[in-house]
Amino acid sequence: MKGKDLILLLLAAVVAFMVMAAPTFAAVGCDLNDPDRDVARFFPESSGYKTTYVSIDKRGGEVMLRRVEKRLGDRFHGIYETIDVPYTLYEIHSGPRTIGYIHGVNQKGQFGGIQVFVALDPGGRIKSFYIQKMTSQWAKKLRDPKFGRQFAGLSLKDLDAYNPATGKGGGKVAEIRNPAPEAEEDFRASLRALKKNLILMDEFVFSSERGKP
Amino acid sequence: MISRFQIAYKNLLRKKSRTLLTLVGIMLSSWVLVSLLGFNRGYEQALNRDIDNMGYQLMVMAKGCPYEAATMMLQGGTGLRYIEQSMVDLIVSKPEVDKVTPILMQAFFDPDKGDGGGIAGYFGVEAASFPAMKPFFRFRQGAWFTDEQAAEAVMGFEAAELEQREVGDMILVPEKNVKLKVVGVLERTGGQDDGTIFVPLKTLQKISETDKITTIGIKVNKDADSVKLEATLYQLPDVQVVSFTQVKQTIMKLIATARVMVLSIAIIALLIAMVGVVNTILMSVLERMQEIGILKTMGAMPGDIFILVWTETLILCSSGGIMGIGLALVFARLSDILVRRVLPYSPGGELVAIDMKLAFLTLAIIVVVGLLSGIYPAWKAGRVRPLESIRSE
Repeated sequence: MKGKDLILLLLAAVVAFMVMAAPTFAAVGCDLNDPDRDVARFFPESSGYKTTYVSIDKRGGEVMLRRVEKRLGDRFHGIYETIDVPYTLYEIHSGPRTIGYIHGVNQKGQFGGIQVFVALDPGGRIKSFYIQKMTSQWAKKLRDPKFGRQFAGLSLKDLDAYNPATGKGGGKVAEIRNPAPEAEEDFRASLRALKKNLILMDEFVFSSERGKP
Repeated sequence: MISRFQIAYKNLLRKKSRTLLTLVGIMLSSWVLVSLLGFNRGYEQALNRDIDNMGYQLMVMAKGCPYEAATMMLQGGTGLRYIEQSMVDLIVSKPEVDKVTPILMQAFFDPDKGDGGGIAGYFGVEAASFPAMKPFFRFRQGAWFTDEQAAEAVMGFEAAELEQREVGDMILVPEKNVKLKVVGVLERTGGQDDGTIFVPLKTLQKISETDKITTIGIKVNKDADSVKLEATLYQLPDVQVVSFTQVKQTIMKLIATARVMVLSIAIIALLIAMVGVVNTILMSVLERMQEIGILKTMGAMPGDIFILVWTETLILCSSGGIMGIGLALVFARLSDILVRRVLPYSPGGELVAIDMKLAFLTLAIIVVVGLLSGIYPAWKAGRVRPLESIRSE
């Protein structure tokens, strides 16, 4: 390579770096408030965890978005539920083994954003269901561990029959009791968030492990 | 015909490892230098932007700790001391005052925000006077309140995003369980306003069961003497005046020591890199004594040899400098995050601001210092005696 070419190449690289370094504002994600504490709470046997950021935009684009919406039985709507939302995925380890995952999603609630987290075993079964944040007079009841315990052992299959758009469905989800009938909207929002959460986990993690969605 | 530049370039490629290591040294020092110069400029710009975004130059609040007051202004904290709203009329009558706006800051505990609960902050403002203080506000959706007593709210960009609120949605004031309708969502400003929820002043007073306010924002007339106004305002009973110029000066003083230290580190890094340059070029000259002697016997003048060796320094320094600046640009966000972790107070927006002007300035510094370092090896090469060098082993 000639010296002149080298200088040109370096200048081009600088310009490219400047474009890459331009500030961008991504959509808001959903992180654990205190990952160290929360990981130890959901997985007491864990020895560490790895945090990765994924988005539908980067993983599968429009095609994945349509597939997620179809599986969810509802469209992504509003100005915050978008294709570029970054999802924070916590992969939990015990020594060299992956012993589970923690993943949260934001969901529009009646009076504010709801943050719904699930702790999953490596097979995708719910170990813990946790609402990190909810603004409602009845939030205490929906954030009560007793309510969360109803979801333990469920997997995405159990929510297949649940339609978040209508709030109706059979199977195990139909057995989930709303502890705050006054906050039906937030209860349904929590179930929608749960189904979306599990579908995204399937798309981001389990489908690639199986080889297909 | 092969140019002087090509000869210098080929000479550098003869000892690839040595050249590469010197290049890495220059690259790292220019990375540090441009990042620190960028921080020096970015911090002040960000602080100025934060202060300008406040919209007013003076704030009057109830007497208390001035540092608490400064924190309240910059971090959007909670105001625990109140002043009478009648104070607004007293202040607005001063000739130096252009505009005033009364503000009530209130915080309510939301037990369902995370595990230990969290604070939800609200700003009670007047739709009639507050927007004039913030002419840069743009609405993403909706507009200001329809009425000064309406049960409505305007949300900053980040507050709306976190709460997933759009115009027409409802929010609930924790503790009080009062429902407010979102009538506006602001565009991102890059300042503290992004995380704020604005409520009509009278509505927030009603919710908080008070008829007082916590703060009065004052915009001073363009040609007025704000120092004189400040002194006048201090005559008012039980209030303290905080000027943003003072706040800025205090913060800049606090970080001045840190700035001197980091610049010293940058200069040391630069000097170390330049010692590396001298070493590399000098070694290269000493190894090529015979070659240089032959060049001289073929008619090369001392000036030609000097420029040839100096060109090698130029190539090394400019390439290393460009690569270092490139790295600094790529990792500017990372540097930003690291700086924020270290500093006790960081304004919003970019802290490490590197633009083309700064990039070229850094490159110029690196090249000039490099060329100065290259004078001795180039001079030594130029002084080589042809016969002695050809005879030497």
